[in-house]
This record gives sequence, structure tokens and C-alpha cells, in this order.
Amino acid sequence: MRSFSNRYIVLYAAALVAVAALLLTVVSVSLQPRQQHNRQLETQRMILKAAGIDATPADAGRLYAAHIREVRLLEQDSLTAWMYGTSCILPVRGNGLWGPIWGYICFDRDWTVTGAVFDHQGETPGLGGEIATEAFARRFIGKSCTDTSYTRFVPIVLTKHADPASRHEVDAISGGTMTSNGVTAMLRDCLSKYQDCMLHER
Amino acid sequence: MPWSRQNPVTVQVLGVCSCLAVTAQLKPAVVMAASVTAVVMLSNLVISLLRHTIPPRIRIIVQLVVVATLVVVTDQLLKAYAYDVSRQLSVYVGLIITNCIVMGRLEAFAMTHGPWESLLDGLGNGLGYAFILVVLGVVRELFGSGTLWGFPVAERLGLYRLGYENNGLFVMAPMALILMGLVIWLQRNSDSGLQEK
Repeated sequence: MRSFSNRYIVLYAAALVAVAALLLTVVSVSLQPRQQHNRQLETQRMILKAAGIDATPADAGRLYAAHIREVRLLEQDSLTAWMYGTSCILPVRGNGLWGPIWGYICFDRDWTVTGAVFDHQGETPGLGGEIATEAFARRFIGKSCTDTSYTRFVPIVLTKHADPASRHEVDAISGGTMTSNGVTAMLRDCLSKYQDCMLHER
Repeated sequence: MPWSRQNPVTVQVLGVCSCLAVTAQLKPAVVMAASVTAVVMLSNLVISLLRHTIPPRIRIIVQLVVVATLVVVTDQLLKAYAYDVSRQLSVYVGLIITNCIVMGRLEAFAMTHGPWESLLDGLGNGLGYAFILVVLGVVRELFGSGTLWGFPVAERLGLYRLGYENNGLFVMAPMALILMGLVIWLQRNSDSGLQEK
């Protein structure tokens, strides 16, 4: 086998890395607009879904522009929300068992949930991953984050044997306890930021 | 041949981790198989072309840089053109870098063979990997979710009305290992040349 000088090895390694870096930079920069567009479409589709509109990647942009209006809430204007007619869609994000989880909750005028949608990055398929299914999201419809007289913020919790009559309890996922706990914490932490809005009927 | 008697997964038992992780549904399994095939073919080709210039003392690092570059490019392309699938595959596209099949073929074949042969070797090994991924993906999606490529097979056949339930075990990793064990068993049983004496 041929032997190589140290000088050759160092230069070879440097050249190889430079070529690789250049290639990656070109790819990353040239594909970035497309990737950002994809991410934006995904967010718009989720918001539309929470509002009850099923959109495909092709028509999501058009439907979003036609129906959804982004607004800032509360005095600091720091909280984002989206309006769909008189419904208000709030974002939530938190931690599941293996990675981030996030979602959008749609409330009607008296702060009752009319739709929800969740997604995750790496929860276990069939267990925690079930939060991304429609069957799970439907469990939230009719729930509320306030008591009936709008005097107190009451977080929605995921629990075993949830009482179907309760406005604040949702059945957790069997086998997905850690992810369910993550959803509970996410709903409590994110939605409580909006409680000043919720504590009076709109 | 790499897709049967030298199958990287069932005979050499390489690349098992990703086989378990991405085969809960057929579509991500197929995209993953195509990605791995592309990466192993191209990296074989590049390393084969460079093989006389690569200093042996840093050859593993050179191989790793080439593989990592190709994998990151693949990942970026998927994010741009197959966003939904790339989200399902999540970290496993990046983990192609550590897939033993890729490094194994570079070290065992591309370093000592010409570009055309290396390209074909990559294709064969990629298809061998693809075969087992597709088998696992079909079985696991069909029995675990009652769908195939997202199409609701069990629902259309009316099985749920007959009291049929999806088997949740099939979507979990242990079942993939059991199924893969069955495939290996079937193959060794039917091919006496693979049996250890």
C-alpha cells in the first residue's frame, strides 16, 4: 500500500472538508425557501384543522388567507392568537416523553372548545403518538378552561377514568401516560397565559 | 447476491435499528429504503473514485465525511420535497450516517473496486435493505393500523363491523424484531447454504 506524507494527509483532510462544507452550504441555502414554505403550510393546515376546516397542502394557503386572521391579545400584545369568525384559536406547545409536542385549540365565544389538533416530533407510534389522531383531538370538544361563572381558570387535565360530564377532564391515552402528562402540563402552562381573556364572556 | 444470500439485513444482520424504527407504516419505510439506497450507491461511487488518493490512516474519517455530507443533503431534499414523510422519519434520516450497511460497504467493497462495480454493489445492498423494510412495513401497517400506504383496507372490507380490532403490538418496535426474526428463520430454513454447520 502506498504511504502518504503527513503534509498530504492534512491537506487532503482540509480539502475534503472544505468541499463538503461548500456543498452543504449551497444545498441548505438553495432549499431554505421551500422548506420554510412547507413549515408555514403545515402550521396553517393545523390552525385550519382546529377551526374545523380540512385543508390539503395545495389549498391551505388560500383557505388560510380567506378565513383566518392573526391577532395579538392582552395589553403587552405579546400573545398570538388566530380568529376564525368569532372563534379564537390559541397555540399550545410543551414537552412529551421524547420530544416537543404542540397543538392548536379552537374556542367559541363562551370559551368552550370546538376543535383541537395536536402533533408531536417523536412520541411512540400507537402510544403517545396517538395524540396526533383525530379521535384523540375530538375528546376535547365541549371542554372549557373556566368555571361556569367565568371567575376562575380551571385547566383541562388528562386523566384515567375521566368523568364524561366534567368540563375539565379528558380521557388520557392508555400506554401513553408520560405523553398525556405532557399534554396536561402544556394545556395548563400555555392556556393559563390567556386566562385574563377567558375570565369574561366575549 | 446482495438481496438474497448476502442480504445486509437478514444474513449479515446490519442496519437493524432503522428497520425497527421506520417500518410501522409502509410509506416512510419506502422513503427510508430509497434514501438509504441512494446514499449507499453515491457514497460507494465517491469513495471508489477517490480510493487511490485516500490516505489509509484517515480512510474511516474520509468515509464518514462523505456519508455524512450525502445524508445531510438527502435530509434537506426530503424536507423540501417530501415534508410529511420527512417529519414521520424524523431523526432516522440523519441516523443513516451511522447505518452499518453504508460504512460496511465502503470499507469492504468500494475501497478496493472500480466505480461501476461499487455503484452496483450499493444498489444491490440498498435493494436488499429495501426488501426487508417493505415486507415489515406492509405487515406492520396492515395488522397494526388496518391501512396500507394510508388506504383504510380494514375499514373498506368492513372488518371493524365484524368485531375486528387492530393489533397494537404490530406498531411497536418489539413486533418488528419478531417479524424480522421470522423472515431470517424462513430464509435460513429454505436455504441450507446459510445454515451454520
